[in-house]
Amino acid sequence: MREKNKRHVTLLILALTILGLFLANRFLDPYKVRVINLSGIYVTLGLSMNLINGMTGMFSLGHAGFMAVGAYTVGILTMPITMKEMNFFMQPIVPFLANVEWGFLPALIAAGLISALLGVLIGAPVLRLTDDYLAIATLGFAEIIRVVFTNTQSLTNGALGLKGIPNYTNTWWSWGVALVTIWFISYLMRGTYGKAFLAVREDEVAARAMGINLFKHKVMSFAFGCFFAGVAGGLMAGLLGTIDPNMFRITLTFNILLIVVLGGLGKIGGTIIAAVIVTAGMETLRFLDESMDLGFVQIKGIPGMRMVVFSIILIVAVILREKGLLRRPKGREFTYVKN
Amino acid sequence: MKKSVVLLLVLMLAVASSASAEVIKIGVFEPMTGPNAAGGEMTVEGIELALELRGEVLGKKVEIVVVDNKSDKVEAANAVSRLIEREKVVAIIGSYGSSLSMAAGDIVNKAKVPTVGCSPTNPLVTLNNPYYFRVCFIDPFQGTVMANYAVNELGAKTAAVIQDVTQDYSVGLSKYFVDAFRQLTGNQASIVEMSSYNTGDQDFTAQLTNVKNKMPDIVFAPGNYGESALLIRQARDLGIDVPFLGGDTWEAPEFLTIGGEAVEGAVFSTHFTSEAPVTEESEVFLAAYREKFGREANAFAALGYDAYMLILDVIERVGSADSQAIRDGLAATEGFVGATGVITLDVNGDAVKSAVINQVDGGKFIYLTTVEPF
Repeated sequence: MREKNKRHVTLLILALTILGLFLANRFLDPYKVRVINLSGIYVTLGLSMNLINGMTGMFSLGHAGFMAVGAYTVGILTMPITMKEMNFFMQPIVPFLANVEWGFLPALIAAGLISALLGVLIGAPVLRLTDDYLAIATLGFAEIIRVVFTNTQSLTNGALGLKGIPNYTNTWWSWGVALVTIWFISYLMRGTYGKAFLAVREDEVAARAMGINLFKHKVMSFAFGCFFAGVAGGLMAGLLGTIDPNMFRITLTFNILLIVVLGGLGKIGGTIIAAVIVTAGMETLRFLDESMDLGFVQIKGIPGMRMVVFSIILIVAVILREKGLLRRPKGREFTYVKN
Repeated sequence: MKKSVVLLLVLMLAVASSASAEVIKIGVFEPMTGPNAAGGEMTVEGIELALELRGEVLGKKVEIVVVDNKSDKVEAANAVSRLIEREKVVAIIGSYGSSLSMAAGDIVNKAKVPTVGCSPTNPLVTLNNPYYFRVCFIDPFQGTVMANYAVNELGAKTAAVIQDVTQDYSVGLSKYFVDAFRQLTGNQASIVEMSSYNTGDQDFTAQLTNVKNKMPDIVFAPGNYGESALLIRQARDLGIDVPFLGGDTWEAPEFLTIGGEAVEGAVFSTHFTSEAPVTEESEVFLAAYREKFGREANAFAALGYDAYMLILDVIERVGSADSQAIRDGLAATEGFVGATGVITLDVNGDAVKSAVINQVDGGKFIYLTTVEPF
C-alpha cells in the first residue's frame, strides 16, 4: 500500500512539473524562462555533486573542471562549420573537428561520456586518497583542465573563448535532464550499489569487511557524478551560447557545493529545492541593488547589496536547518538517508 | 489601520513617481562587483555624467537602469535579459570585459535590442551580430598600432613578446603585434622570443631570463596592470633595459604605484588621454568630470560617456526611440564626435577611430602621439 502511494506521489510531481514547464514556456517572458533553465541545470549539478560528496562521502572539488569538459565538448561539436571558421581566427581549429556538426542530444551524451571517462582516469589514482587529500587532488585537477583549455588554442580557441554555440537549451532540455538525473540517482540509491555507496560513506573498514569492493564503488560513483556534471556543462554552453575557460573557476564549484550543503548532504529532495532557491534567489533579490524611490525619500542603490542579504539568509538557513532544508520530510520519496 | 494608511500612501507616491509616461529607458549592464568591478564602476561614472549633461532627447526624459553582472558570464546573461524583459529598455550599454559582452550577444540579437559596448576589444563581440556595436577600437588595431610605433618611432629590429595567456585581449594584441612586426621589418625571425604567463603569477624570472638571452630591441608585454608592473620591475632587476610596450589596461594608477621607478618609460596605446583633448567634446567631458568627481577622467569613463552620447545622438538623428530605428541609426553612424575621438562604425559595428599612445614619465602618464586608423 505504501509503495503504491509513493508511486502516486512521484507521478503526481512529475505531471505537475511537466504542466508547470508547459505553462512557463507559454506565459512567462524569456528572462523568467532563463532563470527556470538555470535552476534545472543547477539541479543536475547539485545532484551529481551530492552523489559524490553526500552519498558516497568523497570530498571532491573538481566539478567545475568536469563541467568545462562537457561545455567545450558540446560547444565544439554543435557549432556550425562557418561559425567555427569565424571563431578560430587566430589559429585554425584542428582539422578533424573543423567539419563536425552534431545534434544536441548526441553532443550532450558525448559530453557526459567524455567527462565520465576523464572521471575514471582521474579517479583511479586519486580516489585512493581520502578527505582533504582528495579535495586538494580534485581541485588541482579542475585547475589543470582550465589551464589546458586556455593553452590549446587550436582546440578550444584559448582565452578568446567560443561564441555562437547554437542555443539548443530550453526548459524541456534543462528540466528533462534534471528529471532523468533525479530518476537515475533515486534508482541507483535504491539498489545494491546505492546501499554500498552509503556503506562506504559511513565506515570504509566495515564496508570492506562486508565484502564491498571500495575502489570499484568509489570510481563508479565518481564516474556517474562526472557524467552528469559534463551533461550539465553542455546544457550551460547551449544556454549561454558562449563559453571561455575563465567561467570554470573554483568559485563555480563552491556555488554547487553551497547547494549541496544547503539541501543536505545525501538528500535528493533537499538538493532540488536548494538549487532552485539559490538560483532564483540571487535574481529575485536584484531589487536590493537598485535605487529605491519611496516618493518622499530616495535610497541610492548599492551594487552588491543583494549578495550581502543573500549571504545572511544562507547563514540563518544553515544555522536553523543544520541537516539540510528538508529536515523531516513526510514522505521519503526523495530521501535515502536517515539522520 | 495606521499601517495600512502609511502603506497606501507609499504605494500612491511610488505609482505617482513612476507614472511619468514619457521616459526613454536605456539599460546599463556592467560589473559593479567581482574582479572587474573597478573598470565597471569607472564606466558607469562616465555614463552617469553624460546623463547629467544630457538628460533629455526628443522632449522626453532619459532614464538609465544600471544592473550588476557580478563579473560573471551567467549573471551577465541574466542581467541583460532582465533589462530587456522587465525594464523594457530601448537600448543597452555594456559591458567592460569582452566575455561578459559575448554572454549578452545572443540575447540582444534575439530580442532585437541595440547594444553599444564601451570597452570590449575582442573582435568576436560584434562579429556576426547586427545588434552589437562598440565605441572602442579592437585588439587587432591596437596590436598593429604598437608594432608600427616600435618599428617606425623606436627603430626596433627585433622584439620579444610576453603574453598573459588567460586574457583574451593579451593574446589578441600579441598575435596582431607579431603579425604586423614581422611584416614591417620584413623578417620572419624578428620576433626572437614568445612566452606566456597566467593571470595571478608573481614570478616572471623564467620568461625574462629567456628574453634577456635573446637581447631584443623592445619587449611587448600586454597584460593586467598588476602583473605587468611586477613583470617590468623584475625585468629591470635582471638588467633588461630595453623599452616595454603594452596596451590600454596599463592606464591605471596602480600600474604606477606597483611599478614605481621601473615602469618609467613604458609606452602603451589607449583610447583617450586627459592631456591632449582630441575633440571639443573631450574638453566638455573633461571639465564636467573634473567638476563632478574632483579628479582626472580615464579612458573607461570617457568610453561610457561616448556610448551614452552616441545612443542619444542616434535617437535624435532618427527622430524615434524605437529599438529597430536606433539599431539602423547606429549602423549608419559616421563621424560622430565623441570624447574619445571621431567615431565611424564599420560593417561589423566596430568603431574606426584613432588611438592614443602614452608614456610613463616622472610617475605620470604623458601623452606622446595620436595614431589615425589605417
